[in-house]
Amino acid sequence: MTILNDPVAAPTASPAPKQVRRGHLGRTVVKWVTSTDHKTIGYLYLITSFVWFILAGAMALVIRAELATPGMQFVSLEQYNQLFTMHGTIMLFLFATPLYVGFGNVIMPLQIGSPDVAFPRLNMLGYWLFFFGGFTILLSFFTPGGAASFGWFAYQPLSNAVNSPEVGADLWLLGLAMGGLGTILGAVNFITTIFCMRCPGMTMFRMPIFTWTIFITSVLVLVAFPILAAALLMAFIDRQFGAVVFDAENGGAILWQHLFWFFGHPEVYILALPFFGIASEIIPVFSRKPIFGYKGLVFATMAIGALSVAVWAHHMYVTGSVYLPFFALMTMLIAVPTGVKFFNWIGTMWRGSVSFETPMLYTMGFLVTFLFGGLTGIILSAPPLDFHVSDSYFVVAHFHYVVFGTVVFLMFAGLYFWWPKMTGRMLNEKLGHVQFWMVFIGFQVTFLVQHWLGVQGMPRRYGDYLASDGFTTLNTVSSIGSILVGLSTLVFIWNVLWTWKNAPKVTVDDPWGWGGSLEWATSCPPPRHNFTSLPRIRSERPAFDLHHPELAEHQPSGATQVTSGSAT
Amino acid sequence: MKIGGLSFALGAVFFLFVGGIYYFVSGDEIGTTALVMTGGLAFLVAFYVLYTNKRLDGLPEDRANAEIDEADPEYGFYSPHSWWPLPVGFAAMLIALGFIFGAWLVVLGVSVLMIAVIGWLFEYYRGAFAR
Repeated sequence: MTILNDPVAAPTASPAPKQVRRGHLGRTVVKWVTSTDHKTIGYLYLITSFVWFILAGAMALVIRAELATPGMQFVSLEQYNQLFTMHGTIMLFLFATPLYVGFGNVIMPLQIGSPDVAFPRLNMLGYWLFFFGGFTILLSFFTPGGAASFGWFAYQPLSNAVNSPEVGADLWLLGLAMGGLGTILGAVNFITTIFCMRCPGMTMFRMPIFTWTIFITSVLVLVAFPILAAALLMAFIDRQFGAVVFDAENGGAILWQHLFWFFGHPEVYILALPFFGIASEIIPVFSRKPIFGYKGLVFATMAIGALSVAVWAHHMYVTGSVYLPFFALMTMLIAVPTGVKFFNWIGTMWRGSVSFETPMLYTMGFLVTFLFGGLTGIILSAPPLDFHVSDSYFVVAHFHYVVFGTVVFLMFAGLYFWWPKMTGRMLNEKLGHVQFWMVFIGFQVTFLVQHWLGVQGMPRRYGDYLASDGFTTLNTVSSIGSILVGLSTLVFIWNVLWTWKNAPKVTVDDPWGWGGSLEWATSCPPPRHNFTSLPRIRSERPAFDLHHPELAEHQPSGATQVTSGSAT
Repeated sequence: MKIGGLSFALGAVFFLFVGGIYYFVSGDEIGTTALVMTGGLAFLVAFYVLYTNKRLDGLPEDRANAEIDEADPEYGFYSPHSWWPLPVGFAAMLIALGFIFGAWLVVLGVSVLMIAVIGWLFEYYRGAFAR
């Protein structure tokens, strides 16, 4: 091994602790931008994606403010187009996807007892590609034509050089291609780490469910993102160099939709699966029970991953040029493994000793919200029903229930849950509860009414509507709810800042008391290469076996802590 | 590694199977190509992983009764910190912007990229970290 740990300064001479000098900002910045530590890179991912979350959330608030009443009050129609395009683009590519890489980076190597990821420098390159890709997209706001305004799926021929001549569209295409490349590198890194760097005894079927979901998600990234990159680059070559790949005469419009959604549907599960994994980590801890049906969950995850590759054209029902029964059947099939997951989560809580700390509360919020989104998904999977509500606010409500339900609720669940592991301090529970109810109520108020808006016929992506359309009341309700969601983010930021100064340091390995996976067997925050010692792995809950040897499933002789040579 | 390879193999079988059905029922070339290529690539990974696994005998992380100290004490070399990913990523952005705004930026970006890649490759073959 090399010089891995920072030299520990032990002031033996002076009895009083040396006065801590206030942070060397420059040194900290250098330490972070040159880091190859998977945890630091993970924090960078989490922080950057959270900043994007706030930006895109602010865009959503402007959109809701604009839609609150008929007439154009704040932005022009062109600006409105840019806003919803960039809201979708940022939320999917620059917030949710990097959030998966972030959580995966911080938590996954800890869970398999590995000192780092397989390719630390490649990991950092992935971050920089995401960072500069995002920066490229951000630049487009400062170009004369403004940002891309063709919707986040950039349908051809709307996004070609004739219909969207602005330079913002080019920046959008190449920025996403860069970010996508970063995500691919991250996925390769995760798969290699999971295959080759588990600690002895950590068989594949002892890995925590979160690590399993990171694995399956990374496979999906390898399926989906290269196709996206290819499609984006071809569209760019069409625009800049006059190729005719997506020309309407050659059927390019449908070709683009096929390619985009062949990426786009797995992408939805790339966003969802790791967060299902977070739920599967949190529920056992706060139910004081092992996860119910471990293998069932793993196979359900695999089934979702496999099926998600074969359902892409359910986004294209209304084009009239896809084979409907195939995609309707495949889409409905996905509900089965998803139902298995719900069954397992409820089974885990069933007769457990459930307590509602903030992470668990958020997970409950996820279960309710995502279930609702899943049910509307089954409605939308039936072509006769989809024809009526396609591209209406019903669809908007559906995918916000699905994506907000998983990504945002479980992001907060995961942050509250792993905050002590990441920072060494617990977030405030009271503020957490307040924030949860603000998000939950605000979200339901914002998006529940949009189902009815869609059924009444309000199309998505319209910047304006008439008072005589009868959409005003529900839109106003929706906008009021969105303010509550926006405010809740401030509560979270306040919580972070307040606990940073005032919360006591966590001194134990497992502040929640019932943690199962290996990250709860190291200090908070973990040392540079994660473990000073590893427990013996005999079940899928090594940390639980270590901390509660009297309850361990396979009573190891004395359950002694075995010092490892791997991380010193 | 066996389970990991098998999951890719299962994926390959599924994608090829579904691709066949899809072509049979819909006759759509785009989707069929995508599914079959996906299956083929999954097969590639599965083959490599399973083949490699066959030549290794019983990795400690694949044995249910392995002890922690069975891990190879020479775990590997980990870059303690590195400047090079930053200029590689930055050069990628320069090249991307160059394709939009002007060829001179591409030239600049490629130059930065070459320096950065050389720096990256030889980072641990010279100076304090040479090995």
